[in-house]
Amino acid sequence: MKTSAIDIMTTRFHTLTPETPVSDAVRLFKQASREEGRKIFGMMVVDSEGSLAGLISMYDILLFMRPKHTHIWGMMDDIDIPGIVDAACEKTKSVQVGDLMSSEVLTITPQTHIFMILDIMIKKHVRRLPVVENGQILGIVYLSDLFYNLLDRFAEN
Amino acid sequence: MPKPSNNTLSGLVASQAMRRQIIRLPKETTISNSINALIKYKINALLTTDHDDRPIGVLSKTDIMGAYYAGIPIDTPVEDIMSAPPLFCHEEDALEKALERMRTKGIYRLYVMGPDDAQVVGALAYPDIVGLLYRYCHDCELSHIRLKRKEPHTDAFKRFIVNDVMTAEVKAVLNDVSILQVMEELSMHRFGAILVRDGAQTPCGVISKTDLTLAYKHGIDPQTPAESIMSSPVQSCGADDLLEDAIKQMILSDVQRLFVNRSHSSEIVGVFSLSDAARIRSGSCHACISSRITVES
Repeated sequence: MKTSAIDIMTTRFHTLTPETPVSDAVRLFKQASREEGRKIFGMMVVDSEGSLAGLISMYDILLFMRPKHTHIWGMMDDIDIPGIVDAACEKTKSVQVGDLMSSEVLTITPQTHIFMILDIMIKKHVRRLPVVENGQILGIVYLSDLFYNLLDRFAEN
Repeated sequence: MPKPSNNTLSGLVASQAMRRQIIRLPKETTISNSINALIKYKINALLTTDHDDRPIGVLSKTDIMGAYYAGIPIDTPVEDIMSAPPLFCHEEDALEKALERMRTKGIYRLYVMGPDDAQVVGALAYPDIVGLLYRYCHDCELSHIRLKRKEPHTDAFKRFIVNDVMTAEVKAVLNDVSILQVMEELSMHRFGAILVRDGAQTPCGVISKTDLTLAYKHGIDPQTPAESIMSSPVQSCGADDLLEDAIKQMILSDVQRLFVNRSHSSEIVGVFSLSDAARIRSGSCHACISSRITVES
């Protein structure tokens, strides 16, 4: 029976480095989704020693892309949307993954019980948890891993 | 939106212009992590809190620049470099009063206290006030954007142009000066950004406190030449452009200032910031004042 992180974690994962330009990260999200055969919404960021430095999600990048004054012109009809997106992209040139990532990341161990994982995801509003042991990244548990694992268990009953 | 009386800001209160999303971080947060929040949320300052989640200080990009200049390690807690205490206004305070407080204290933002001063409900900075004015002007029936669609030459009142409100003196640095020298210039003149010129005196970029914050984060040696971290091209507008159009350009492209070209030339004759726009304190034309006079007579 699958009871721990090690049983449900994904061991095939892609990572970014803090120095990866954000513009490259967008391309790498697509590439990772293709190679892993699932939609990737967040990736682990790993430093030069291979340790977990942070997590970056699509949400982090979208936050940065969001024009600051949307509340002012959101209702206006004479706005040049492509122009705004271009201006926002122009700004990403000097920004790196390390500038946008969340560096205070919750992690679990291979032995963490799946109900504990469920509890952490709900209480902390996170959708992915890196599995780390002795400073080494072994895998990642996505909300969907947990979801389908639990549904399978229900289906079996 | 309330009707204006003697100027567009009269009758408006802080809660109508304030930004409700306030980013706050515990005082133990490292400078490095605080930079992530400033960059990601595109803000110039954040609120720092103590163990009981009480606001105890403000960390601005100016403080970050100071730390970069002083060579402070980037994993230092923000507590060591923040400005304390934060300054507040009340959500029911007139915008006029809040602006006056910002001016006399020489600061760029106030945090807004809710009922009974129990908690912080917003932040008020110059761009928020300009945003409110812009929305007001955009919705006005005399808006030049609306008039343009009808007959453009029927204006019976004077509209502000950039030349009326810009700062005519423009400081610049050469592209080969060090980042340290750029920081000295910014701090001496209390600028948020400075123009960079090349050897032929042609404007080639701008260095803002945001560029410096990123350089600090990326571990760039402050002895490095300025041009390596500048943003280019220079965001600019014309001296004869309507104020309303220039404000729109700043709001849409998320910049806080535009350098001003003389008409039909690339020569830069001034700089125009969102703070300048806020200080005008009327809308972007004289229509509001004109209508008041009409009513009174």
